[in-house]
Amino acid sequence: MMEKNKPKEAEIEQKPKLSLSDHKVLVANRGEIAMRIMRACHNLSIPFAAVYTREDAQSGHVDLARSLGGDNCLYRVSSYHDANEIMSVADAAGCTAVHPGYGFFAEDFRFARRVTKRDRSMIFIGPSWKIIRELGDKINTKRLARSLGVPTVPGSDRPIYDEAEAEHIAKSLFAFQEQQGVTHPLVLVKASAGGGGMGIEEVYDPDQFRSVYRRIRNYALRQFKDEGVLIEQRIKDFNHLEVQIVSDRTGSHPVHFGTRNCSIQSTGRQKRIEVAPGFAPDTLDYSFDAARVLTNIVDYSLTMATKVGYDNVGTWEWIVTRSGEPFLMEVNTRIQVENGVSACISHVAGRGCVDLISEQIRLGLGEDLGYTQAEIATEGVGLEYRIIAEDPANNFTPWVGTIETFHWQETPWLTMLTHVPTNRSYEIPTEFDPNLALAIIWGKNLEEAKERGLAFLSSIELKGKNAAGDELKSNIDFLKANTEHLLRF
Amino acid sequence: MPRLLATVKKQLMIDNNVEKRIVALHERLVYLKDIFAGKHADDVNLLEDRLNSFRLRLKEEDVSDPYTDIASVEDLFAYVERKLDSSITPMDKVRIVRHPQRICLRDILENVYDTFTEVGGQDEYSLDPSMLIARAVITRHRGKKTYHQPVMVIGQEKGHGAEFRNGGSVKPWGNAKAMQFMRVAETEGIPIHCYVFTPGSFPIEDYPGAAQQIAKNIYGMAGLRVPVIAIISEGGSGGAEAISLADRRLMLSHGYYSVISPEGAAAIEGHLKSGMRATPELIEHCADHLHITAADNLNFGYIDRIIQEPALGARPWHFDFFRTLRQEVIRATDEVIIQTRILPVFKTLARNRHTRPNADLESLYIHWGLSAAAKKRLVAKRQKKFLGLSKQAACDHRPWHTKVIENLSDCISKPWISFKYDFYRKHQRKIQTFMEEIDNEWETFKHKALSPWRKFRHDIEKKNNKQGEELTALSAWTKDLRRKKWNYLSPRYKIDQTLTCPNSADYGCLDLWGPDLFGEFAGVCSYCGYHFPMEPEWYVRNVFDRDSVMEFNSEIEAGNPLDFPDFAQRIAKAQERNGTRSGCMTFEARISNIKIIVAMLMGTFRGGSVGAAEGYKFVEAAERATKKRYPFLAYVHGTAGMRIQEGTHALIQMPRCTVAVRRYIESGGLYMVLYDTNSFAGPVASFLGCSPYQFAVRSSNLGFAGPGVIKETTGIDIPPRYHRSTEALSRGHIQGIWDRRQIRANLKQALRTIGGRNLYYR
Repeated sequence: MMEKNKPKEAEIEQKPKLSLSDHKVLVANRGEIAMRIMRACHNLSIPFAAVYTREDAQSGHVDLARSLGGDNCLYRVSSYHDANEIMSVADAAGCTAVHPGYGFFAEDFRFARRVTKRDRSMIFIGPSWKIIRELGDKINTKRLARSLGVPTVPGSDRPIYDEAEAEHIAKSLFAFQEQQGVTHPLVLVKASAGGGGMGIEEVYDPDQFRSVYRRIRNYALRQFKDEGVLIEQRIKDFNHLEVQIVSDRTGSHPVHFGTRNCSIQSTGRQKRIEVAPGFAPDTLDYSFDAARVLTNIVDYSLTMATKVGYDNVGTWEWIVTRSGEPFLMEVNTRIQVENGVSACISHVAGRGCVDLISEQIRLGLGEDLGYTQAEIATEGVGLEYRIIAEDPANNFTPWVGTIETFHWQETPWLTMLTHVPTNRSYEIPTEFDPNLALAIIWGKNLEEAKERGLAFLSSIELKGKNAAGDELKSNIDFLKANTEHLLRF
Repeated sequence: MPRLLATVKKQLMIDNNVEKRIVALHERLVYLKDIFAGKHADDVNLLEDRLNSFRLRLKEEDVSDPYTDIASVEDLFAYVERKLDSSITPMDKVRIVRHPQRICLRDILENVYDTFTEVGGQDEYSLDPSMLIARAVITRHRGKKTYHQPVMVIGQEKGHGAEFRNGGSVKPWGNAKAMQFMRVAETEGIPIHCYVFTPGSFPIEDYPGAAQQIAKNIYGMAGLRVPVIAIISEGGSGGAEAISLADRRLMLSHGYYSVISPEGAAAIEGHLKSGMRATPELIEHCADHLHITAADNLNFGYIDRIIQEPALGARPWHFDFFRTLRQEVIRATDEVIIQTRILPVFKTLARNRHTRPNADLESLYIHWGLSAAAKKRLVAKRQKKFLGLSKQAACDHRPWHTKVIENLSDCISKPWISFKYDFYRKHQRKIQTFMEEIDNEWETFKHKALSPWRKFRHDIEKKNNKQGEELTALSAWTKDLRRKKWNYLSPRYKIDQTLTCPNSADYGCLDLWGPDLFGEFAGVCSYCGYHFPMEPEWYVRNVFDRDSVMEFNSEIEAGNPLDFPDFAQRIAKAQERNGTRSGCMTFEARISNIKIIVAMLMGTFRGGSVGAAEGYKFVEAAERATKKRYPFLAYVHGTAGMRIQEGTHALIQMPRCTVAVRRYIESGGLYMVLYDTNSFAGPVASFLGCSPYQFAVRSSNLGFAGPGVIKETTGIDIPPRYHRSTEALSRGHIQGIWDRRQIRANLKQALRTIGGRNLYYR
């Protein structure tokens, strides 16, 4: 079988590369990310097809698709989650590539594999499926990092099956934290085959470890048919940073677009404000060398990206402790919501402003990067607010209803990304996140960015009612209150 | 006045006797018509005319001597019956045994035995009226002495067509009742006479389940420590096997013994859908080629003796026949008893007495009790007898030197293995314990002596802060168990197609992409867990240690022992398509280095049907496992039942393989069965269903007869999912349901935790 496949692959290699406008991209997502992808395609003169569901018929992304791509580019599907429908649309529309956006199929290596391996093969705009699979596995990522000397959370880097070994690691972890001066050491026990917060428990008392270990092990065996557990230090009190990596299909010379700080989050660990760059060593005082930490995590991220031959956009997520120690958390093998904050402070020599989504599409379709790290410069500070219909006081419960008014003051330093139509009332679909808009604000320094941010937040007029006649609830006040704490520990 | 007197006189002459004899003749005529189903019309008409004209004359008082006249009509009937008897076809025999006028078990109890007491129910007041059980007595006289010899009589009762007898089609609990009273007979030490009068078992799954109960019966009978005689009149498939694993199998000359009813065979041969009927010609054709008659089965060796019936089959008024039958069952029982004796002089003398042609068995008394040692010999003889059957029906293409070497190595390895496990291992344990104690003392001494040095080293380690390094550096992880790739992927993974899960209507499963489903997902729906069927190779390559599979006896080939028309080509085609010589692959393999013997029935080879070759290989595998003390797994990728085109050659595999399995289990092994896809009929009702450890792969079906057959034979509409493994689990037929991806882990666990005391690794 392998023998047969070889010449076939060679044939594909020899095929002349299509120019960008010969491609057609299927935008396999909804809401604001779909809109950004469509705009990017439009700017690159790439035709596209878009999908929507019955619930989303009133969404702004449908309007935009119609205006940029015409009526024929729109396809209604029953669900964004059904890969079969996505493939059918791609075939019907004659697409040559699929952009998954974020969420849905963005980090699903099987979807990526299906796109590329099917008989009518297409390009998956994202890293190759093997990389998604490799970096999508936390244990694999942790071991890769350790093999390259990249710091990771202290603890096991493989599933532990043996109780004696588990206890030994837990004991060491408690001792290690005490040695480091942690006042309330915590150890995390989690099912190695688990994910999404299932089968995780904290241990604060070494004597308690054995019973927790057994509970998690049994749970893992029942739930995932694999009784392996991971035992790690539970780090509290940290800042959440990330590094934006961009690479072309060769994967040989990835570049970075700096760092972001996403520490302002909801109680459910959903990001609410993102700032680029990740620290402001010039304006704020840190108990550690913040500039050095930023350099380090960027270097570590690039080392790993080079090692795996990372071939599209991706984000390396880090936690940085109060004492300035960085630990790699995970790698997001996709474009992220907050890519805009990094883009708004960056420009490439000779090319001007950067749109990371355009870059992703362009590189994904096989173009060369065309510039080096040295040609990328950053200026100022970017802020991103996620404006969401929710009640921060009540555990960030989503608010459902109809938006009647949505206005804000347009300024040159503001980019507003929203699928919520401003010319008519809009009923928030209950099927998806109640994300309303992303506001990206640029300032020449942190102070100016914060000022502008507050000014923008104050200018928003957002009103609506739900079925019971209650007023719309949003997180605008929460965003205002937290602007003050940005980039501080 | 004189005329009136004459009338009265004549009327007196036509007494009850003549009237009765006319009725009897009429019944014989009806019987004749029925069993020939329109054939031999000339003869039938002749008899009808003669009978009618006699009646007419009688009515018109034209008969001078009715007794002489009716005797001549009777003679004519007898003559024609004898004449027709010589041209009887197999299908005629099928109609004979099914006819309401055919002798029934109650007739036999009344006429063959001297007294009897019905146990386990009375008439319709019975757990299952189609299974009749009686404690009967045979009285023999030697000189002035009288001997009462009790026997347990067990058999199906057709009740001359009485509806509540269900035509002798026994329900699962009826077979359980039979087994219960076989145990009673075993306890009491009395012989068992089994009379087989069944078209087949009633195919329902209610506890204890048609298949599983038959399997339990066969398994039980393989080890019964009393003589068992089976007398077969209508031997219909599994229902017959449930009570016919016997030391002596006798068969009535007009009976049939078959793997399937000719109608059933015709439905399969004609590829009929449910509701369609096969043509009489096709049914007749199948009956001919299935070789179902007593002569055929005697020829194959599956019965020991034929009991000659009167022309056109025994009916209740054939008293001579009952006398013959009595002689034959006594002779058979005596022979079994004599066989177990070891003193050669007595054995020969007794045998000679019995084989004398005009021996009067009534006056030859032989005690029917057995000593403990004789019981052992009896069981061993019975098992050997069945193990030796049907070998000729498979094509054994093993080269002669292989067989010679195998036999030679047997001679050497048998004593070696028994030395190794029975002697050496026992003493080895003692030595080991002694050595361990010495080692303990040494370690304690070392610990004390070296304690200053250890303390010194510990301090150094603390200084070097090795702990932090251990928690943050890359650990050694040699066995990459996590991203476990399958050793083998179904070839379907290369096809770009989407598949719809059969449960999608219920669970909303999205369509699955073939390359994902048949590759990484191992054929399991990622939404609901439904298991799509996989190829046998998938299991061979993914369940066992890599490169550990060693096939044996692959040269034993499925053939066409009955020369069933067109069947040789069909077997050849299956062989070519499947790449194997039979539907059963037997191999040695390892799971985490524990050696195991596996017999795999492949659903891809003629539906996984079991014929002589498959049975042969199964028996060989069980014997190999016994010899080597390996665990034994029957992996049923799928089986549709016994291979009907091989007739009784296939059917005999039920008791035969069960005997092999019983011998293996009793030697202290671990016999496990794992059902996958669809497993039905004979194999489940015998050598698979008798396993104490039966498991099923998820989404599999198992049972006795498929929905179509149940509807056809019983008229009952069965609920959906009737045969699902989950249902089988609820009914207690299996012990668990396994996810396909967990088979290896579960087997590993099972090997470690269950099974007998004599496994090589224990």
